[in-house]
Amino acid sequence: MKITDSAFKKPKDLPGLHILSAGTSICAGCGGLQAIHEILDILGPKTVTVNAAGCMSLLSVYPFTPFSGSWLYTAMASAPAGAQGVRDALDRLLATKKIAADEDMQVVVLSGDGSATGIGLSATSGAIDRRLDFIYICYDNEGYGNTGQQSSGGTPHGARTTTSRGEQGYCGHKKDLFSIWKANHPAYLATVSGAEPLDLARKIEKARAIKGPSLIIAFSPCPTGWHFPPQESIEIGRLAVRTGVWPLKEYEDGKVVHTKIPAGRLPVTEYLQKQGRFAHLFHPGNAYLIKEMQADVDAYWDCVEKSAATGR
Amino acid sequence: MYRIRFHGRGGQGMKMASHILGTAFFLAGFEVQDAPRFGAERRGAPIFAYVRAQKAPIKERGIISHPGLVLVADESLVPLPAAGILHGVEETTVLFLNSREGGAVWKARLNFPGTVLALDLIGNDLNQPGGQRFFGAICAGAAAALTGVIPEDVLMQAIEDELIHVEAIVVQENKTRARAAFLAMQDKAGIVEEGSGVKVDGYRRPAWIDVPLDDAGLAAPAIHGRRTSELMKTGAWRLRKPVIDTCRCKGCWWVCSTFCPDSAIVVESGRPRIDYDHCKGCMICMVQCSSHAISLVNEKEEVSGE
Ligand SMILES: Cc1ncc(C[n+]2csc(CCOP(=O)(O)OP(=O)(O)O)c2C)c(N)n1
Ligand code: SF4
Ligand code: SF4
Ligand code: SF4
Repeated sequence: MKITDSAFKKPKDLPGLHILSAGTSICAGCGGLQAIHEILDILGPKTVTVNAAGCMSLLSVYPFTPFSGSWLYTAMASAPAGAQGVRDALDRLLATKKIAADEDMQVVVLSGDGSATGIGLSATSGAIDRRLDFIYICYDNEGYGNTGQQSSGGTPHGARTTTSRGEQGYCGHKKDLFSIWKANHPAYLATVSGAEPLDLARKIEKARAIKGPSLIIAFSPCPTGWHFPPQESIEIGRLAVRTGVWPLKEYEDGKVVHTKIPAGRLPVTEYLQKQGRFAHLFHPGNAYLIKEMQADVDAYWDCVEKSAATGR
Repeated sequence: MYRIRFHGRGGQGMKMASHILGTAFFLAGFEVQDAPRFGAERRGAPIFAYVRAQKAPIKERGIISHPGLVLVADESLVPLPAAGILHGVEETTVLFLNSREGGAVWKARLNFPGTVLALDLIGNDLNQPGGQRFFGAICAGAAAALTGVIPEDVLMQAIEDELIHVEAIVVQENKTRARAAFLAMQDKAGIVEEGSGVKVDGYRRPAWIDVPLDDAGLAAPAIHGRRTSELMKTGAWRLRKPVIDTCRCKGCWWVCSTFCPDSAIVVESGRPRIDYDHCKGCMICMVQCSSHAISLVNEKEEVSGE
C-alpha cells in the first residue's frame, strides 16, 4: 500500500472523535494509553481485545470498559493463545453463517513489553507458526509497569528500574522484538509512536488490511516508571524519534523500510536528560555509558544508510 | 496507641510518608504497623496509608476506623466521598491539611469535631514538575511533630533510611520540607494523644453507614454495554486543569485531541472541547498546542475563588 492509497494523507484526516472512551484508571499522561487510543481510532469499534496481564489490564475492570468491542483478559503468558481461540470461534461463526461477513471482528492482542519479549514469546511463536490472523499490539514502556517498573526484556541498557538500582542501571540489553518476529516471517511488522500520529495511522491501516500475524510495537513513555512529569509524554516520544533511539520502520514482503529517517539526528542526551530513569548516566563516572548508547544508535543508522545504498 | 491516617493522591508520596513515620516511630522505640491502601487506580487517584504505633505489641489489624490524627496532602480531596477523609473522626481527632487556608476556615467549613491545623508549605511545588511528590515529606514531618514523641534527628534518620535508593539531592529536598513542617508544628507538639486500646468487651459496633445511592447505570452497568468507563468521573483526579482560549484556538488538526491520552478532548465541527468530567489534568494538551491556546488553571484557586 502506498501513501497515496492511504486514507491518512494529512493530519486533518486523523479522527477527532475517539473510539476508546474516557474514564479509565490509567495514570494521567500515560504514553501507552495515548498510543493505544490512536491505534484503536484506526482499527475501529469492531475489535476484540485479548489482553495479557499488565498496566492495560486496568482498562477494562469489571464492570466498566472503555471499549466498544469485547475484551478477554488472559494470563501474562497466553494472550496469543487466547487470540487463537477467539479467531477460531469467529471463523466458525462465519463458516456456519451465524454471523454475517460484516459482523466479523479484528482480533488484537494487547500486551506490554514484559509479556511480549519474555513470558509471552512462546505462545506468540506458536501463533505465528499457525499463521493466526491477528494483530499483536505491544505497548513498550520498557519495564514491568504494572508491578512498579521492574526490569523486563524491553528495558534499555543503563536505565534505572526498581530491580536495577545500581549506579549503572540495567546491565542487560533491550531485546529486539522486531527482529525476533521478523525471523519468523510474519505478515506485517511496524514500530510506531503516538507522537507521530500520521505515521502510526498509516501503519495500523496496513496491519488491518493484511491477513496473518502482525506486530505493532508502540513506543510508550511512562511518566510513572520513567520519572518525568506527565505533560512531557509526547515530547519524549518525539525526541526518541529525532535522536534515532526509536526507529520508525515496517516490514512487509520480506523487506524492512524505515518510514521516517531523522534528518540531523539530535544527540541521545536530549532524550536521556528528560527522564529520571537516566539521571545517573550524567554522573561523572558514567559518561562512557552515554557514549556507548550514542555509538549504538549511530551504528544502527549507519547500517540503515548502507543497506539503503546497496538496496539490501 | 497512635492511629494515624495519611490521605493523598497516587504520586504524592503518601505511602512514603507512612513508611517514614513508621520508621521514625520504630527508631524512637515503638512497635509499628504501616500500610498503604489503594485500588487498581493510578497516579492522581485518591489513596491513603496508615500507621499504628505503641510501646507494647500491636494486636489491632486492618484499616484505622477511629484515627487520632488525619493528614491530608491535598485539600482538593476533601470534598471527594471516595477519599474518605472524615471517616471515623471524633472530638479527639486532629486534622492536618496542607493548605493555603487556615485551620479555622476548614474547621468551620467541615464542621469538624476536633482540632484542625493547616500549613501552607506547598508553595510552588504544585506547579513544579514532580513537586507533588514532596507532599509526603511535609505530612510525615508534621505528623512526627504533632505526636511529640519523635525527635528531629530521628525523623531525619528515618527519611534517610526510607530513601536509601534515592538520589542525594532528592533526599535533601525531602528532608528540608519535612524539617520545615516539623518545626512549624512545634508549638502543637504532643497535641495528638494516644488513643485507648480496643478491647473485645468494649467493642463498639460501627453505626449503620449510609452508602450514598449510586445511579443504577453506575452501580450495575450492563457488562455488554459499550464505553461504560465514561461513568467513572476521573476528572476528580485532577489538581490543575487545562482551559482552551477559543479566540486563540486555530482549530488546527486537533493536536490537543489526538495527543490527549484519555480521549478527554472531543472535536465538534473542527473545534475542541475539554470533557472536564474525565480530564485527568496531565497537561499534555497545553504543552502540545502550538498556538498556545491552552492555559493552566489550578483547581484550588477556582475553589477558593468561589
Ligand atoms: C506469570 C505471571 N507472573 C507475574 C505476574 C505479575 N504481573 C502482573 S502484570 C506484570 C508486569 C507485566 O509487564 P508488561 O508485560 O511489560 O506490561 P506492563 O505492566 O508494563 O503494562 C507482572 C509481572 C503475572 N500476572 N503472571
Ligand atoms: S505505569 Fe506507566 S505504562 Fe503503566 S499506566 Fe502508568 S504511565 Fe502507563
Ligand atoms: S491544539 Fe490548540 S489550536 Fe489545535 S485545536 Fe487544540 S486548542 Fe485549538
Ligand atoms: S490535561 Fe489535556 S491532555 Fe491531559 S487529560 Fe486533560 S484534556 Fe487530556
